[in-house]
Amino acid sequence: MERLQQVFRRVFRNNHLVISSNTSTKDIKMWDSLTHLELIASVETEFNIKFSFDEVMSFNTIVDMMRAIEKKIIFSRKDEF
Amino acid sequence: MSFNSPLFFVYLFFVVCINYTIPLRFRHFFLILASCVFVGYYNIGSLIVLVFFSLFNFYLAKNCLNKRFVYLGSIFLNILAMILVNYFKILSDKIDFPVEGVNFKIDSFIIILGLSFYSLQNIAYLTEVYFQRIQAETDILKYILYCSFFPKAISGPVMLPNEFLPQIGKNAISKEQLTSGFQRVLVGLFKKMVIADRLAPSISPVFDNNHTYSGLNVLVATYLFTIQLYFDFSGYTDMALGIAKMLGYDLKENFNTPLRSTSVSEFWRRWHISLISWFTKYIYYPVVYRMRNYKKIATFIGIILIFLISGIWHGIGFTFLAWAICHIIYLSFELFTKRFRINLSERIPFLFYKIISVFIVFNAVCFSNIFFRAESLTKAFQLISNTFSFSNFVPNHWLYFIAPLAVGGHQMDEFNFYISIFIAVSVLLFERKFNRFATSGKYTTGFIVILILLIMLFGVFNNGTRFIYMQF
Repeated sequence: MERLQQVFRRVFRNNHLVISSNTSTKDIKMWDSLTHLELIASVETEFNIKFSFDEVMSFNTIVDMMRAIEKKIIFSRKDEF
Repeated sequence: MSFNSPLFFVYLFFVVCINYTIPLRFRHFFLILASCVFVGYYNIGSLIVLVFFSLFNFYLAKNCLNKRFVYLGSIFLNILAMILVNYFKILSDKIDFPVEGVNFKIDSFIIILGLSFYSLQNIAYLTEVYFQRIQAETDILKYILYCSFFPKAISGPVMLPNEFLPQIGKNAISKEQLTSGFQRVLVGLFKKMVIADRLAPSISPVFDNNHTYSGLNVLVATYLFTIQLYFDFSGYTDMALGIAKMLGYDLKENFNTPLRSTSVSEFWRRWHISLISWFTKYIYYPVVYRMRNYKKIATFIGIILIFLISGIWHGIGFTFLAWAICHIIYLSFELFTKRFRINLSERIPFLFYKIISVFIVFNAVCFSNIFFRAESLTKAFQLISNTFSFSNFVPNHWLYFIAPLAVGGHQMDEFNFYISIFIAVSVLLFERKFNRFATSGKYTTGFIVILILLIMLFGVFNNGTRFIYMQF
């Protein structure tokens, strides 16, 4: 969550931004269709993962995004073994 | 048979009654028949094209899974059909579109009713099936109803397959649905006949005559055109949604008080919602997703693409291109100044920020609509230069100002013009309350009586003038 929050702060250029798992697109004024994919690209770089198009389209809250990130990280660790 | 013609109301009465009384399992057969009669009455060519395209897309969707070539080929053919119709519209010998005050020119033999709208639905269906987000429909009749359902066949709203197909066969109709549908139709009729059609004659002289009008006249006519366009199209949408509701279907909302938007991007989330969400889902997001590492540049390219295509979708011509360029500039400006604007909104009183923002956005939209309405680019630039000419901004005499707007210089014409303005402004101010009544399932006798009285007293009765968006 801490890392994700840093990405949000960087992309939306707001050092006081606080996110929680319930935060949604409606709670952050900067988060709309114009900035959504810029945010996604930054999250992908931060966690070194790639989201599919359908995943990107389904992100409405932080919790949606966190679940997808966790899934990707677990899968990438399994691949390492 | 336009939605506001007397013949249509007789037809609608019988369709609603029969649909309500026949068993559920026969309803979609009946609605296909009713839709075919509706489209075929307007133009038999449109009916043939509609049925042909429905069958064509139905079979292609069944065979496009894992066949990229079939998928791309079918998308190409749907787009080609839309472009050809638009292209023939400008090539053919044109005749005047018989709308009082709205002299869009269209060849009555070439226009294929609603093709631009149901082609978008076909493309959405093929895409959803190809990417396995939904399963291909197995019942051809259901698919034909999805394409031809007459409340949305002419000018939308654009329904995605997963929004409409699951409703077929489950359309039990309650009394609340009939009441709320009927109220919504009345509201739509009111918006069209009492607001849009009353404003039309005030706009026409400025946009259609070659006379040079004062800047103030052009400014007022431009404001009024945006209001006319809004009430004409949202009135149509209210009627479409109301009719569909009475037949047991829920269509997507197309407007959400767009003239109160505080930014152009917000305006596009509230104006013609079904079309813009289609463009966003099937053009903007796929393009920006692929280029997302370029961040703001990707978004910028997405904006350019979506509005260029939207401009072409509305019509092939320099005026629509100029309209699209206006919105590309507005949205790009908003993209690069978003942080600054949010900071500003937090520093100054909210109400003040909101009023100023609504005023700026309304003016920006009106400015772009000069290109949307003008017959040529030359005419649009002439109108703009008139508006910004300081020497010719205020007319020499009050009569020169009011005569073109009131279509005549008599006191009665002037009074009529003020009534139109008063009604339009009142509805705009109390729009949310008005919409709540319209969508409520509760039978409100007072509301219905007042609406009918207003339509009878102030409505323009000219045997069903066409809706502006029927041409697209």
